[in-house]
Amino acid sequence: MNVSSSSRQSLGTLLPKIVVAPTFVVTLVFIYGFMLWNAWLSFSSSRMLPKYDWAGFIQYEKLFANDRWWVAAQNLLVFGGLFIVICLLVGLFLAIFLDQKIRAEGAIRTIYLYPMALSFIVTGTVWKWILNPELGIQRMVREMGFESFSFDWLVNADMAIYTVVLAGVWQSSGFVMALCLAGLRGVDENVVKAARVDGASMPLIYRRIIIPGLGPVFFSALIVLTHIAIKSFDLIVALTGGGPGYATDVPATFMYTYSFTRGQIGLGSAASMMMLMAVVAIIVPYLYSELRERKQ
Amino acid sequence: MKALKIQNVEKTFGSIKVLKGIDLEIEPGQFLILVGPSGCGKSTLLNMIAGLESVSNGNITIGDRDVTHLDPKDRDIAMVFQSYALYPNMTVKQNISFGLEINKTPKDELEATVAKVAKMLQIEPLLNRKPKQLSGGQRQRVAMGRALARDPSIYLFDEPLSNLDAKLRVEMRSEIKELHQRVGTTIVYVTHDQIEAMTLGDVIAVMKDGEIQQFGSPQDIYDNPKNQFVAGFMGSPSMNFVPCDVKQGMNGLVLVLESGGASHELPVENGIEGLSEYVGKKVVLGIRPEQLTQVSEDKPDTMTIPCLIEIIEPTGPDTMVTARLNGVRTVCRVHPTAQSKVGELMPLQFDMSKAVFFDPDTEQRIY
Amino acid sequence: MSLSRVLIYSLVLLAAVFYLLPLFVMLMTSLKDLEEIRSGTLLSLPQGLNFDAWSKAWGTACTGVDCNGMKGFFWNSVLIVVPAVIISTILGALNGYVLTKWRFRGSNLFFGMLLIGTMIPFQVILLPMARTLGFLGLAGTTSGLIMVHIIYGLAFTTLFFRNYYISIPNELVNAARIDGAGFWLIFFRIVLPISVPIVVVSVIWQFTQIWNDFLFGVVYSSGDAQPITVALNNLVNTSMGVKEYNVDMAAAIIAALPTLLVYIVAGKYFVRGLTAGAVKG
Repeated sequence: MNVSSSSRQSLGTLLPKIVVAPTFVVTLVFIYGFMLWNAWLSFSSSRMLPKYDWAGFIQYEKLFANDRWWVAAQNLLVFGGLFIVICLLVGLFLAIFLDQKIRAEGAIRTIYLYPMALSFIVTGTVWKWILNPELGIQRMVREMGFESFSFDWLVNADMAIYTVVLAGVWQSSGFVMALCLAGLRGVDENVVKAARVDGASMPLIYRRIIIPGLGPVFFSALIVLTHIAIKSFDLIVALTGGGPGYATDVPATFMYTYSFTRGQIGLGSAASMMMLMAVVAIIVPYLYSELRERKQ
Repeated sequence: MKALKIQNVEKTFGSIKVLKGIDLEIEPGQFLILVGPSGCGKSTLLNMIAGLESVSNGNITIGDRDVTHLDPKDRDIAMVFQSYALYPNMTVKQNISFGLEINKTPKDELEATVAKVAKMLQIEPLLNRKPKQLSGGQRQRVAMGRALARDPSIYLFDEPLSNLDAKLRVEMRSEIKELHQRVGTTIVYVTHDQIEAMTLGDVIAVMKDGEIQQFGSPQDIYDNPKNQFVAGFMGSPSMNFVPCDVKQGMNGLVLVLESGGASHELPVENGIEGLSEYVGKKVVLGIRPEQLTQVSEDKPDTMTIPCLIEIIEPTGPDTMVTARLNGVRTVCRVHPTAQSKVGELMPLQFDMSKAVFFDPDTEQRIY
Repeated sequence: MSLSRVLIYSLVLLAAVFYLLPLFVMLMTSLKDLEEIRSGTLLSLPQGLNFDAWSKAWGTACTGVDCNGMKGFFWNSVLIVVPAVIISTILGALNGYVLTKWRFRGSNLFFGMLLIGTMIPFQVILLPMARTLGFLGLAGTTSGLIMVHIIYGLAFTTLFFRNYYISIPNELVNAARIDGAGFWLIFFRIVLPISVPIVVVSVIWQFTQIWNDFLFGVVYSSGDAQPITVALNNLVNTSMGVKEYNVDMAAAIIAALPTLLVYIVAGKYFVRGLTAGAVKG
């Protein structure tokens, strides 16, 4: 082999690496490097400006002593739990209904799913208007004659978080429907036929055969919804602004407020690290199950 | 000059050795078959000849050029793939001429080649279609046309017929054979189908576990398998393997055969010296179904043993009957007129002239 | 029609009403004037087609101190979306091509790293990115936002193309290699021409993601460089003067229109991207 062909060879094997190199560097620096940088900030005494010193766990101690953080964490649990469960149920039932050879299925599917194309800011804006006690649903029902009807969740510190759930479900349940419908369409027709020959009724077939077979679909829907819940920021900003007071704060809005409007960079980065931990707690089992499946 | 020379070629993936030192060479114009069960390394070897996989060790020479480390495009080869691998966005004509175009073949020469190839394969009416508008057989032809247009020094075929239905497969098989006779170019052809191997090959390399078990002409491999694997792999229905005790009889060695509730002594005729070491021990008798037939007047010297029939399977020209010898199911090829019934004893004639023997432990042939 | 069919149809239609209602309310409100809003209810129809709120939302509504409507911000979003979508899709296609057809030692590890990149909460990179944009002199600019969107979109586009290309048989690439084609020729002549569906998915996904983004927009842009989502939020939450719900709703529709249009025109691909981006790997 002469020199020129050997250099051509090495260019040939290098080229693919050169092509992915920018992405590789960007990933390494802007994802992993930044994560470490952020971790460092959370262990520093940074306030308005970042300081690269070592302050131990001070920021975390401050975070855990902060009532507002615990309200945010609790809100995330309430919002996340309800949002996920309701989305899954609504999505599943809508998919089952649509799977009954419904006329104009395509159009209806389009209607169920279109909110997913909207920005959470738009969703928040419109629901804020609908739920507005002065001019929204409350007034509409009162005009219909129910004078004592009251629906002021949006401005009620105890109930405001549920309006976020409502708007979130409106936006995201169509997505679960699409996933479930795809899952239902993937069910082997022969299995259903066999069950009917065995004398099973359709509700029984759904309960015992089809829905259990949707396990993987639920699992991925669950992962995505959890992910949406933990990252939820825009919806809350647009719908309640975290209020009344800080009644509907979640970790994402908490992090934003402290980092960018209150000049507490260290505290904000500590809060974001906690969010990362929460995501890791979900991703790791997910990746584990994926990898195990792939090995089998 | 050899058309293709493979010297001590090895392939390792991590710690796994997929090919363990392959050596073979073929003459120009020969049709070489690489055959074996899946996972034997035959496709890996073909890909290494093509340059699609790197060689971990050893050398590959095409003609007088060492191509071990060359790119596929510099090896002067053409390849037909199992899935045909037609470029889905190109017409048949573009598929055939793509390689020529890359090699900067002049336009008129390119047109002439495409026309010649299309005529040879009778795909002229298809030239402007896209692959997805073609049937399986047509795609197969286009894939061959793409290879033919290159006019290489070696054609490589990777299980090209395995995606066709049975009837089309037989047709295309003869067409490939005819094509080879016409163009006379060297071919390396991978298959797992031993009938394809027998019918197409000038030489066959039977592979298993990353090693060549036997290399030779189809008839030689069929008649003189080197070991029990080759003997069992080539031929359909497979050779029967009956474990037998070897005894010293009155006129030489005999095998003890239990059949139809009685014990029989079967003389070993063809003077295999190695067998004498097995007196008092077991050997594996390898005998093909066509050597176990109904009693016929033409061969008066052969040994006849009554056998209990368990299964009867007519195939048309022959009827396969299954009997039990030394507890092992044994398939015999009898004439359709030789009537018998399941559960009855049928006298069967043993043609021991072509029988082979294997060591039960090493599974190697006893000579 | 049996009772159960009637029941199913009523539930299906009820759900459809639930999903459509906010859109309906948004549209109706945007066509009313403030007096109608005060005297009517959510569902009452406007007296006529009154587009005053729309033109105000587009041209003169106040988003904070400035009163130039949404139009400037709408074009900001377009200016951010177009280059970010194009660049991240091209890079994603090349990455996917390498990760499936030109694998090298460590390429799977690289893909795993990218995959995790699709799952992290962006809050962990907000502060370091803010500093970096400051160093680069890109803080508060649309260029900075374009860069951020490209970087954090790459993982998704790569994932799309990788999962699509993995179903293209390797034999196709091998055939082209034997025909004498190299890395780029195979990509442009063989692979790219059959990538149209996934290019559409990637473009639509990136378009909706970036158009709808609020987090990066609110953190990394300021003043005239803000994208439309941030401007909409400013408009709605501005506390100066009389609350003009009709203008808010018109602005919301304007902000939603591009992605809604994409969804209606190419819903099939939109759903595919959604599921592919969701069910990672």
